[in-house]
Amino acid sequence: MAPPLIRLEGITRVYQVGDSEVRALDGVDLTIETGEFVALMGPSGSGKSTLLHVIGCLDVPTAGQFRFEGEPVQDLSEDRLAAIRQTRMGFVFQSYHLVPRMTALRNVELPMILAGIAPAERRARAQAALADVGLAARAGHRPDQLSGGERQRVAIARAIVLRPRVLLADEPTGNLDTRTGGEIVRLLERLNDEGLTIVLVTHDPQVAGRAHRLLTMRDGRLHADTGVREPAP
Amino acid sequence: MRPADVFALALETLRRHRLRTGLSMLAVAIGVLAVLLLTTLGDAAKRYVVVQFASYGSNIVSASPGRTDTFGMAGAVGEATRPLTIDDCDAVLRRCPAVREVVPVAVGSSPVQFGDRSRDVYVVGTTAAYAEVRGLAVTSGRFLPAGDVRRGERVAVLGSRLRSELFGATSPVGARVRIGETPFLVIGVLESKGRVFGMDQDDLVLVPVASAQRLFNDVSLHRAMIQARDAAGVPRVVAQARAVLIDRHRDEDFTLVTQDALLASMRSIVDALTAALAAIAAISLAVAGIGIMNVMLVSVSDRIGEIGLLKALGARAEQIRALFLAEAVLLAGAGALAGIVGAVALVAMAGRVWPQVPFVVHPLWALLDAVLALGFGALFGFLPARRAARLPAVEALGARR
Repeated sequence: MAPPLIRLEGITRVYQVGDSEVRALDGVDLTIETGEFVALMGPSGSGKSTLLHVIGCLDVPTAGQFRFEGEPVQDLSEDRLAAIRQTRMGFVFQSYHLVPRMTALRNVELPMILAGIAPAERRARAQAALADVGLAARAGHRPDQLSGGERQRVAIARAIVLRPRVLLADEPTGNLDTRTGGEIVRLLERLNDEGLTIVLVTHDPQVAGRAHRLLTMRDGRLHADTGVREPAP
Repeated sequence: MRPADVFALALETLRRHRLRTGLSMLAVAIGVLAVLLLTTLGDAAKRYVVVQFASYGSNIVSASPGRTDTFGMAGAVGEATRPLTIDDCDAVLRRCPAVREVVPVAVGSSPVQFGDRSRDVYVVGTTAAYAEVRGLAVTSGRFLPAGDVRRGERVAVLGSRLRSELFGATSPVGARVRIGETPFLVIGVLESKGRVFGMDQDDLVLVPVASAQRLFNDVSLHRAMIQARDAAGVPRVVAQARAVLIDRHRDEDFTLVTQDALLASMRSIVDALTAALAAIAAISLAVAGIGIMNVMLVSVSDRIGEIGLLKALGARAEQIRALFLAEAVLLAGAGALAGIVGAVALVAMAGRVWPQVPFVVHPLWALLDAVLALGFGALFGFLPARRAARLPAVEALGARR
């Protein structure tokens, strides 16, 4: 049997803030299998964003073991971590993080530019990814010419264009109204149906209710785990 | 990441901030312009010196009375300087096989008078050979007569300026002028030669050397121009002339200067001056580099969120450094280009205003200047680029909220 996609054992992340230590993560054990749709909830400062960053290889745990596709990750060099982020991870943020001077198309091209993919190929793939999120007609618009929901769709197109294993979303609906947020969640559900593993941080119980598995965090620890279940209707 | 994409991304950013891009480009352009203009000026000065020497005559060794080298204790040798005479010139011409011609030159200053007009000018006493050695020609009449240099005919050849001042539009040939108290017959007029080393070559009168000596009551020559048979013979001329003159004077109480030595020392003075000026101009280029650094630091702190995004998208530290370095180098490169274009335009204008000065922008200087500017761009861009590359990804992503 294949190793789990994500396996965390005793993951601890300690920050130094002035003289005091902050334990953002305090011994988290967690396994996520390919194809899961996991929501992370918890009060502010409970460590859910830090956990998302550790899973995304943006942050390195102070202690514990993190295996991604069976490979230990915590001892890898910065460049190796960058390579994993490039090929395996897709990120979506609350504030979209689109580059304001670039068109939607060019924003989606950006990860492929960094990967050194030739212009003709990356343009075609970016167009396809935008079409996939329903924004083919908006390719030439800059972020300030797009609505919040459209911006987040561009960001999702950018996150999935290199076909990652995991989509990591940090409050993707946090800046959106309920209706637009719902559309974004439906888009994520569809991507999950197509086999993409999704880990999503949210404050919104309704959004969390759509996930197949709900994790609740408190004080840097996993407080509750529903396990994989049928999503709420 | 493909290099073309690195520069395309850097260019997009620079175009987004036109004002600060423009200002730091301007600083680089001014620095490059200053360096290039000063090196061009130095080049022009050097070429000007060479042209001046060329108009001074060719393959000439100049002998003048008195020593310029100082050796021994002052007064210990204690010998008076013997004058350099026409006899010395004869001896050098007769006894030195490498010598083609010796032209004595006696210089004094005296009023020259025609009718009620009078003008104080240099009176140059010399011989017929002076015309050839100095490359002079007459526009009317003839030059000083050949023949016995000791005879001292009372004839004069006027410089073109002196001629127009004394005679206006009428022809002076055949007229009599008074030099001091002595009447001279005007036999010719020199063509205009302009100024050589600050001395007006047109505001003088040439007379036979013996006449000048009589006028000024002085047997000593100002100098003797010794012409070698060819350029290769110059060192032999120096050796032979020195031997003959020491033999006659019983002492080396004269100075022999070759044109090459003069030219070389003038060139090295101009070179040193050019280098010093260019170095000062390079300081402004360094200041422009600091300007680039400032703009880049602002650019980094403006785009912390974007740097975090790039890291999340899998950019390696080295790629982020390359992006920011490319921006700095593009800034410097565009500024350098503008500076070079500006310098070429200014030099072209200067060439129109002063056509006699040989201004040319040397491509090598332009290239070195551009390389220097790019070097400063990379040097001062490196720190901000490194700062961007070292930002922790999570912190950078959080900076926007």
